[in-house]
Amino acid sequence: MIKEASANARKTHYTEILNKYGMLLILILLFSALSLKIDGFASFRNIFSILEQVSMFGIIAIGVTFAIVTGGIDLSSGAVVALASVVGASIVTGTEGYGMTIFAFGAAMFVGSICGLINGSITAYGRIPPFIATLGMMTMARGVAQLVSNGRPIDASSDAFTSIGDGSIFGVPGLVVIYVLVAITCHIMMSRMSFGRHVFAIGGNVNTAKICGVNVEITLLKVYILAGALAGLAGAMLTSRAYAGNPTFGNMWELDAIAAAVIGGTSLAGGVGSVPMCIVGALIIGVMNKGLNMLGVDPYWQQIIKGMIIIGAVLLDAQKRKKA
Amino acid sequence: MIKKTLLAASVVCAASNFAFADTLVIGAPMPSFADKWMSYLFEGINDFNDKHSDVEIKMTDANEDPSKMLNDVDNFIDAGVNALLVVPTDIAIVKPIAKKANRANIPLVIVNRLPDESAMKNVDAYVGSESIQAGIIQAESVVGMLDGKQGNIAILMGVLGHEAQIKRTEGNKQVFSQYSNIKIVAEQEGRWDRAKALQIVEDLLQAHPEINVIVANNDEMAIGALLAARKAGLTDADLIITGVDATPDALEYLGSGLDSTVFQSAKGQGYGGAEIAYKLAKGEKVQKMNWINFELVLEEQKVEYLYKYQ
Repeated sequence: MIKEASANARKTHYTEILNKYGMLLILILLFSALSLKIDGFASFRNIFSILEQVSMFGIIAIGVTFAIVTGGIDLSSGAVVALASVVGASIVTGTEGYGMTIFAFGAAMFVGSICGLINGSITAYGRIPPFIATLGMMTMARGVAQLVSNGRPIDASSDAFTSIGDGSIFGVPGLVVIYVLVAITCHIMMSRMSFGRHVFAIGGNVNTAKICGVNVEITLLKVYILAGALAGLAGAMLTSRAYAGNPTFGNMWELDAIAAAVIGGTSLAGGVGSVPMCIVGALIIGVMNKGLNMLGVDPYWQQIIKGMIIIGAVLLDAQKRKKA
Repeated sequence: MIKKTLLAASVVCAASNFAFADTLVIGAPMPSFADKWMSYLFEGINDFNDKHSDVEIKMTDANEDPSKMLNDVDNFIDAGVNALLVVPTDIAIVKPIAKKANRANIPLVIVNRLPDESAMKNVDAYVGSESIQAGIIQAESVVGMLDGKQGNIAILMGVLGHEAQIKRTEGNKQVFSQYSNIKIVAEQEGRWDRAKALQIVEDLLQAHPEINVIVANNDEMAIGALLAARKAGLTDADLIITGVDATPDALEYLGSGLDSTVFQSAKGQGYGGAEIAYKLAKGEKVQKMNWINFELVLEEQKVEYLYKYQ
């Protein structure tokens, strides 16, 4: 991208960079400002704490980014988190050892990918807009979660299982390690593999993609399965952090995830987006949440501020597209 | 360069942390600022805060999201508070909260929602009311009002799994099971919510016209039931409706549809919780279990209890 821009003209080069890295700049400014204002904000302890809090909806945001880049959306991820959490918890409850832990994580991701498979099939083969398909899944998955758990939290305090959310590797919290691994894998998938190119092609123009030989249906199916599996993974992570699975988990997380993607510059019109920028978007939300909390800002105001930032990001995106 | 600045900044910050050692700071993660009953509990906490100049109690809103509450706890621990005062979103979340607090060596007070025994081991103190007592008092008032007549009862329950839901319902059943003229016809989950209860009772009254008593786990649902009954054209004489909490809203309805409620002192719990957390922050010894009693409220006591909210 940068290469092309600099080849064209110097002027567009700068705006391009600003467009691309503007949000990163905002993140750095936000963090620096809060560090000046709050004691202990710029400490490793605090940075890891922010990353840990971001990791779960940040992973969902990566999946959602894929969906948005194809021109779709996934509204079901919060509910899938709840479903995966109660499934994971019911597997791991009363057990010991890492075998069951891995099985629980696997099962949570499997349940998530089944939800994604359904989302994807309805979208790709049923030709139903993903907004509607995933809205249905959002209600359904939440219902199944309540059914499975009888509406109650399920205990998940197996030592091995909770050590994922509690422990750390060389001082890096376990959940952050997972976030980084997922981010790297997904970044490679999106930017270096043909799957990623197909995703962008569909988002750019479905018909052109078809003519160029992209199997749109299969690609969409893969995208929603990926998004579901990542939401399931986030559910398992949250369960291990909270020592319990709970059908109320993940409430409105889909919105945080979509906000992270959009703030990171993913265009809701499709065709534009990247994993690193999605992480930047998630971090902006995380830094803001933590900062506003530590400053003691009224929670009502926090919601208002958060809403304004999301709207600001979307307006910015609209402006960019008008110019392009 | 950035690394160095960050490092320098963090050193400076670590040093300045000692600065606020003279005023005690209590971190108070709360489940929801939107809950009416809870707001009186917060009032109790604020009351205590205002009366003591050497303590600052900071509250956060988890929006009923357990994971948000964990974040709030993390933030308070990072900020180095002297004690934690928590009204948990659900009892399952107490375990990880207690683990975090223990690890950071910060005393932890749980208010209002009683955790299970294994979680209580790592909690320093609990302040609340024994939920089963509310259920018993409530059911006994129904028995009195029925006075030997046939009672067909519908129970509206709070969010399933909440200690208050389980114990209040248990208290109800304990009393009702002793009377042959009383039958429980339906039990439904109204999720503490007025609108949800309204909808449930609308349906229930259609499906079971024989229902003449509605026992709700809290007042908001009792009010929902009462609104549904009015919609269905039933009068005050047709239905006995009873709730728990004695919220100001419910007190207004006492005698005009609502027949009894049970007072659980939200303010008392908030104030009591704050006091215990304050003592723990100062390093004083406190009792582990601190009970605040329930009281039955009938129409006659309406004014007296309304006055408590002034």
